[in-house]
Amino acid sequence: MCGIAGIFAYLDVAPAVDREELARMNARMAPRGPDGSGDWFSADQRIGFTHRRLAIIDLSERGAQPMHSADGRLTITFNGEIYNYRELRAELEAKGRRFRSDSDTEVLLQLYADRGPSMVEVLRGMFSFGIWDSRTRQLLLARDPLGIKPLYYADDGWTVRFASQAKALLAGGAISRDPDPAGIVGFHLFGSVPDPFTVWRGIRAVPAGTTVLVDAAGPEAPRAYYNVAQSLGRRAGAAALDAKDARRQLGTAVHDSVRHHLVADVPVAVFLSAGLDSGALLGTMAELGARDTLAVTLSFAEFKGERHDEAPLAAEIAARYSARHVVRTVDRAEFERDLPAILDAMDMPTIDGINTWFVAKAAHEAGIKVALSGLGADECFGGYPSFTDVPRSVRLMRPFRLIPGLGALARRVLSSAIASGARLHPKSAGVLQYGGDWAGAYLLRRGVFMPWELDGVLEPALVAEGLRRLAPLSHIAAAIQFGRPLGDFDRVAAMETSLYMRNQLLRDADWAGMAHSIEIRVPYVDPFFLAALPPGDVLATIKAKEAVADVPQPPLPEASRNRAKTGFVTPVGRWMRDAGGGPTEAAGDVTFSNASRAWALRVWQAGWTGSAAA
Amino acid sequence: MSARLLALVSDCYGMGGGIARYNQDLVEALAEDGAEILVLPRHGRSDGIVLPPGVRQEPPVFNRLRYSLKSLWIGWRQGPFDVVFCGHVYMAPIAWMVARMIGAPYWLQTHGADIWKTRPDLLRRAIEAADMVTTVSRGTRRSLLGWVDLPPDRIRVLPDTVQDKFAPGPPSEALRERLALGAGPILLTVGRLSAGERYKGHEQVFGVLPALRVQFPGLIHVVVGSGDDRAYLEQRALELAGASAVRFLGFVPEDDLLGLYHLADLYVMPSTQEGFGIVYLEAAACGLRVVGGVGGGSADAVPDERVGALVDPSDQAALVAAIAGQLARGNADPAAVEPYRRAHFAAGARRLLARLVDQRRRKKGAE
Repeated sequence: MCGIAGIFAYLDVAPAVDREELARMNARMAPRGPDGSGDWFSADQRIGFTHRRLAIIDLSERGAQPMHSADGRLTITFNGEIYNYRELRAELEAKGRRFRSDSDTEVLLQLYADRGPSMVEVLRGMFSFGIWDSRTRQLLLARDPLGIKPLYYADDGWTVRFASQAKALLAGGAISRDPDPAGIVGFHLFGSVPDPFTVWRGIRAVPAGTTVLVDAAGPEAPRAYYNVAQSLGRRAGAAALDAKDARRQLGTAVHDSVRHHLVADVPVAVFLSAGLDSGALLGTMAELGARDTLAVTLSFAEFKGERHDEAPLAAEIAARYSARHVVRTVDRAEFERDLPAILDAMDMPTIDGINTWFVAKAAHEAGIKVALSGLGADECFGGYPSFTDVPRSVRLMRPFRLIPGLGALARRVLSSAIASGARLHPKSAGVLQYGGDWAGAYLLRRGVFMPWELDGVLEPALVAEGLRRLAPLSHIAAAIQFGRPLGDFDRVAAMETSLYMRNQLLRDADWAGMAHSIEIRVPYVDPFFLAALPPGDVLATIKAKEAVADVPQPPLPEASRNRAKTGFVTPVGRWMRDAGGGPTEAAGDVTFSNASRAWALRVWQAGWTGSAAA
Repeated sequence: MSARLLALVSDCYGMGGGIARYNQDLVEALAEDGAEILVLPRHGRSDGIVLPPGVRQEPPVFNRLRYSLKSLWIGWRQGPFDVVFCGHVYMAPIAWMVARMIGAPYWLQTHGADIWKTRPDLLRRAIEAADMVTTVSRGTRRSLLGWVDLPPDRIRVLPDTVQDKFAPGPPSEALRERLALGAGPILLTVGRLSAGERYKGHEQVFGVLPALRVQFPGLIHVVVGSGDDRAYLEQRALELAGASAVRFLGFVPEDDLLGLYHLADLYVMPSTQEGFGIVYLEAAACGLRVVGGVGGGSADAVPDERVGALVDPSDQAALVAAIAGQLARGNADPAAVEPYRRAHFAAGARRLLARLVDQRRRKKGAE
């Protein structure tokens, strides 16, 4: 896990690579890689790579980057981990290829030499990288299938620049900070900026599961090599199986994924809540032979001694699997103290990531470099209310769509009523208009502000342009349009995985983790794991979210199953609401949804576009 | 690459001016590489001109409706075409229609002022339908991305090219005497004198001449070009700089123009809206340093200090400092102009055509 960046002056008329610009990009990413820093420039100065290293596999200098192939033809700068690198290495060695290091980075170089850009299809892991092929004079940019590792690029028509962080690109100083209305509107709608947009017009994300090839004519359109909906559709076509077999299959898939995610030359810890997902990871680690694992739990001073405090139950789980347990207590004062640093580390505006910031901070204090996280379990096991709410909304509201104009009319009437003081959530006004189709129902469920509310928080001209460029409903619908129609569970899973998890959870895990030099590994976010699970409708039938408690042996304590049903509460929503200057309510009324609106505005006001940003 | 192109252009062979020149360069670059190109212009006849092998030009059709009908007819009857090339934004809707009709990818070339401002919705959609848009500069690309919804990878830059005749040469004292230019230094500006193009900055230069002539008593500003604004500019020159400081030469034949480039000491045109500013590079290719204006596409033609400097023309002190500073630095470095020579342009154009054709093949393969 590291920070990468590069500059490629692809057009003949472009000036040679500016070394100082690349150095500024590198410096902005210093926390991503405290263990080393390296640069490389081609002899003709047309391309340069930089790298910040967080050493985890092959800690020696042989694992340093940018790394070159033995013949000097290929150069790579790589961020991430390849969990199946040993298998891939064995295959390549069987073909006669010789290795000089024990690193997964070298496997990538050799794999590229063997297969070219299609190499990405066999990688199991989280990654973003740039490979320069001096023979074809092509730069390959690649990002992992589900978007765990970020990768941004900016093309001005002469020169392409890429980096792990959008703010690193800006720090270089050569990229325009013109705002992109699509990204800004997207943030206010979803609470995170939807890929491939950023809030800057000149910067785009390399979409998850794609590669971008850059040659002397500039970057090509991203080429997709993975699609969530397609993969869930393929899984749905598998042979039917009974509940017992399905549970066994679930257990095997979790074991296999955890085993792969433990590959490291440093200790691997776990972020442990009182929930089932992280507990199942710790239990499985123990079952696989991991000893003396460090488990880090976040506890909030305001909840000490109350039923909301997760620490006691987490301690029970840790004890069950003989883990060393670290409980880190956070209070409002620390949140307020850290807020400037949080906003600085936040690579793009987001309404979440605060919990991850503190748990990563705790892990760093405990001397940890790598930790497993239960992120992604709700997306693959159907743990969110959206898995029931969205299909129900579509079923109930679809008939109303047959009456043209009814939804819009109802929304106007209800909005007026809400404005006049009716005690309804502002989003409820859109139920008839949006609730009858999958994308609309999803937007209602996940949205922070609704499209009709945006004129109240942003410039109307910017809103109009942003909505046109983003086309939010088509953007959401694209997550489920691929090949055969999906079942209800898989539709929601595809939307949550391709939108919320990718743009919100994973991006937040990256910036909040990397700010503390912590590599967060996510065994539930893995295409190989997703493909190995039973089909979505079977997962729903066996209540996979609860069944995961029985995956490790011994299984999770009974108390943690009961706890999962009552839900989890943190005071972070209230802190964010207060930091955002939202209306004061009784403590019990602060839902994440209320808080997130005020917080979204606070985050946006921190200043993102224009000269003050980054 | 063996591809057949239908080129819908405003002008190409038989016409002068930057766009006709660009289209000719492009057509020739592709034809030399094996492409077959049928040019359909709105202006200009190719009668009597020997066209490069593989290039054919239809007689011009000025009337819009007739031009559109002819484009559709040729697209239908004289195909198949692998690519429809459109040489001007105003023809984008018909190019889009022809391309859709014959199922070919459509390549739109833009030049500068044509796309700097938001255009009507139909034009925006016609631009967004392009499989590839080429612009002459990064600035033009950036302004286009500001108002059309196109993925950035679809907008490529293909810079103007400097012809080989622009090269350093000895100053002609005979020319200096003939034009009675005196000892100099000589500031040179070449461009149309049009009321619609006052952004070129002639007046701003006139405004700083008195200050410069304190430092350089023999300094003279030579203005080449004709147009509807000449009388106005002559009056302004008189008011701002006095009778002897500015010399208007009107239209100058090509040979004399090269001589002027070799004779002058600095090329000055602080224009804020050049689509590209090829004239800067032509001057630099002759060894002349350049003072250009901030804004538009000039940053691409004056990429670094080897060629000259860009300045905000409304800042008089900065303009004086830039002119004096560049005069002190001697000649421009011809190596800086080398990437703008024809061979690089031709290679770039061929790469873009190859990418467009390859994309279409991949798309068809995937269907």
